[in-house]
Amino acid sequence: MTDDSTNAGRRRFLVGSTSVVGAAGAVGAAVPFVGSWNPSAKARAAGAPVRIDISGLQDGEMLGPIPAWRGRPIFIIKRSAEVLSALNEDPERLTDPDSNDPEQPEYAKNETRSRTPKLLVLVGLCPHLFCSPTPHIELRPQPFDTEWRGGFFCPCHGSRFDLAGRVYSGSPSSRNMQVPPHSLEGENILVIGIDEETAA
Amino acid sequence: MSEISDTGSNMEDAKKPSRFTSGLISLRDWVNDRLPIMTAWKKHMSEYYAPKNFNFWYFFGVLSLVVLVIQLLTGIWLTMNYTASAETAFASVEYIMRDVEYGWLLRYIHSTGASAFFFVVYIHMFRGLMYGSYQRPRELIWIFGMCIYFVLMAEGFLGYVLPWGQMSYWGANVIVSLAGAIPIIGEDLLVWVRGDFLISGATLNRFFALHVVALPIVLLALVVLHILALHEVGSNNPDGIDIKKNKGPDGKPLDGVPFHPYYTLYHDLAGVVLFLFAFCAIVFFAPEMGGYFLEIANFQEADPLKTPEHVPPVWYYTPFYSMLRGVTYPLFGIDAKFWGMLVMVGAIAILFVVPWLDKSPVKSMRYKGWYSRIALLMFVVSFLVLGVLGTQAVSPAKTLLAQIMTVIYFTFFVAMPWYTRKEITTQPPERVTGRWISIPQLLGSIILLVLLVVLPLMLVSGSAEAAESGNIDLDHVATDYDDKSSLQLGFKTYMNYCVSCHALGYARYERTADDLEIPHDMVLENLIFDDSLIGELIENAISEDDAKNWFGATPPDLTLAGRVHTPDWLYTYLRSFYNDPTRPFGTNNKVYPNVGMPNVFHGLQGDLLCDDHGTDDPTQCELSHVDGTGSMSVEEFDSTVADLVNFMYYIGEPIRSRRQEIGVWVLAFLAVLYVLTTILGREFAKDYH
Repeated sequence: MTDDSTNAGRRRFLVGSTSVVGAAGAVGAAVPFVGSWNPSAKARAAGAPVRIDISGLQDGEMLGPIPAWRGRPIFIIKRSAEVLSALNEDPERLTDPDSNDPEQPEYAKNETRSRTPKLLVLVGLCPHLFCSPTPHIELRPQPFDTEWRGGFFCPCHGSRFDLAGRVYSGSPSSRNMQVPPHSLEGENILVIGIDEETAA
Repeated sequence: MSEISDTGSNMEDAKKPSRFTSGLISLRDWVNDRLPIMTAWKKHMSEYYAPKNFNFWYFFGVLSLVVLVIQLLTGIWLTMNYTASAETAFASVEYIMRDVEYGWLLRYIHSTGASAFFFVVYIHMFRGLMYGSYQRPRELIWIFGMCIYFVLMAEGFLGYVLPWGQMSYWGANVIVSLAGAIPIIGEDLLVWVRGDFLISGATLNRFFALHVVALPIVLLALVVLHILALHEVGSNNPDGIDIKKNKGPDGKPLDGVPFHPYYTLYHDLAGVVLFLFAFCAIVFFAPEMGGYFLEIANFQEADPLKTPEHVPPVWYYTPFYSMLRGVTYPLFGIDAKFWGMLVMVGAIAILFVVPWLDKSPVKSMRYKGWYSRIALLMFVVSFLVLGVLGTQAVSPAKTLLAQIMTVIYFTFFVAMPWYTRKEITTQPPERVTGRWISIPQLLGSIILLVLLVVLPLMLVSGSAEAAESGNIDLDHVATDYDDKSSLQLGFKTYMNYCVSCHALGYARYERTADDLEIPHDMVLENLIFDDSLIGELIENAISEDDAKNWFGATPPDLTLAGRVHTPDWLYTYLRSFYNDPTRPFGTNNKVYPNVGMPNVFHGLQGDLLCDDHGTDDPTQCELSHVDGTGSMSVEEFDSTVADLVNFMYYIGEPIRSRRQEIGVWVLAFLAVLYVLTTILGREFAKDYH
């Protein structure tokens, strides 16, 4: 009896320990295969933060779409005072006027969705199905909206956004356009892809 | 079924299967009604009775399956980042080695796996020859096995071309040119195989398709056939007797044990772990295996205009390569090259017909006579000697030895019908024996084999080596990955003196900075002289045309210089420039005579003078430093160059130190697993004896 039971116990221990160690080995062996699917150094270099000189950008002008950070189109707009005053005229028309959804870094969660009131930086993609909306910066009625106050119109499915990238109610998109992490070096150098929060 | 669980353990109560288990069982039965998975499992695993006297040599069939899986997995993963084009193939391999996370490991496993595959297959084949596993009724198993070997050789060759290094290119050139040896159609066939008038991107692309798609499919099909044929007639064993002749009342062979779980778990598992231990030791600590697994010249990109000095194939082809080179006589008005090819092909082809050459009444070498034993010994000797010769440059004595060994190789087969009939055999026992070769017998055999291989090689080595060793004594330099300050100084020297001509085009600033522990800002400010970003490759702005005008040749990229050359060579070379007004740049080099490179360190080192004792031979120089010249003392300069060489050695394989760190953990882990699987195997194997 005792022989049998020690034997059984010994066997159970051996099977258990070998299985556990073997399973750990299998996980370890999977590491290089799984890891090699991560972005390579080349992809990371290509997706590294970009520096853009915005010294030439005048009030009411837009730079972009530029294929900038991580291959995404980036819109950079210097909004005029007129645009800024028109921004929050009628928040009732917007789905998320206070930017409650996390589509922007903390520092852009404000009335103008920007670091400095004038400078708007957006990822130029509609959060609906990722077409790139067409900018219509002028504050005048458009065929798709008779009360247009400037913004972006997505040609794919008709989503409309204001000049802070906030989506109008009644659009297929239910989210605002994304503000990428960005920071300013001095007055004129805009760095997209890195800010004080993402910097290591 | 119920008897087993009743008699099994007294401790466990008879439990009702849980819902989950019973669900699984009904799913299994549902499938089995439609696809006989259980029948197949029994036939090939749990009720496949293998002889219980398998010994050491029987591990290698299972191991070749293990390697096959390793190669398939790593191969598939490598194709995810490899690009098959002449312009990008070489760079994409370095991309895998440097930029892809764990890419280096996948590649080293695959390159080591290629050699491991041949290693286990050669032993597996030797076992077949020794125990007569090819004899009736196992002829078809042997034929399928030989087909696997043949496809494997093709697979290995095609795979070796893909990195598009110098050995890839010139090896392909040599082997493909054999097609041109065929009379009449040869020339046209050659162009057709290459798809071009030289080995080119067209050749590379078709080789890639064959290597990653066509041949693996064929290989897998053949492996399935090999195993199906084996399971039809049953495994042979070291005694070469049929276990099916002695069956118990239950109809199971008395000398048989179920393949699963006896061999799978209790016998082979520990063997597989031990193999993986040796395999990983090579992958993590010697992936080049002294240039035998990854040849040094293959760290240089293919150049159709420049043949490396010595083009030996990888070790697993060298026996046949020796035979090819050994045939030096034209016959019947046809080139020696054609006959050489015929001998080489014949050496493989003759293996196919071994089942019909062996006329012995017994299978195993244990019961065959002395003629067979000596013949097999001499066959192994000839194969090994030819293998070693194939890695070396030719000399008349070596060619003669290769010819003798080729004759012995073929004699083994051609005389087999005669000596297997003629010799006195002993009667095999009725039942299998558990005996194993005694230690004195084993040692005696190994010593005899080593002597027979080494002595002939020593006899022919002398003369050729003397001619090769006209080399210059190199000064020794120590390299150290952990000496970050040395690496930093080396990087700085490289960026200041070298990079304007020699890019490090496969390496990136960021990774180099991180490895060398230099802050990115400091690299951007002090070491990057163009508008490169930190993540970019260390390239330079020199145009190829300008470079060609200035130096006569484009200065090569030096990312891999530390792998192509030894640190000692680099250290000695960089310190051996001397004044020579006859040269375009007023300088010459003792280690690399008439090199087209100016001495960029002249300002630091000052003037060196050469006394060649009137021989006019730079390699005979006795160098002397002119006191007071150069901004550095001799010691300072030597230390600067040592740091530079340390850096170049690092940049040649930046992962080297981390690879070894990981390797220690992997080996420690496998050692633990080996101990566990061994104890487990011993414990459970008791049930079967």
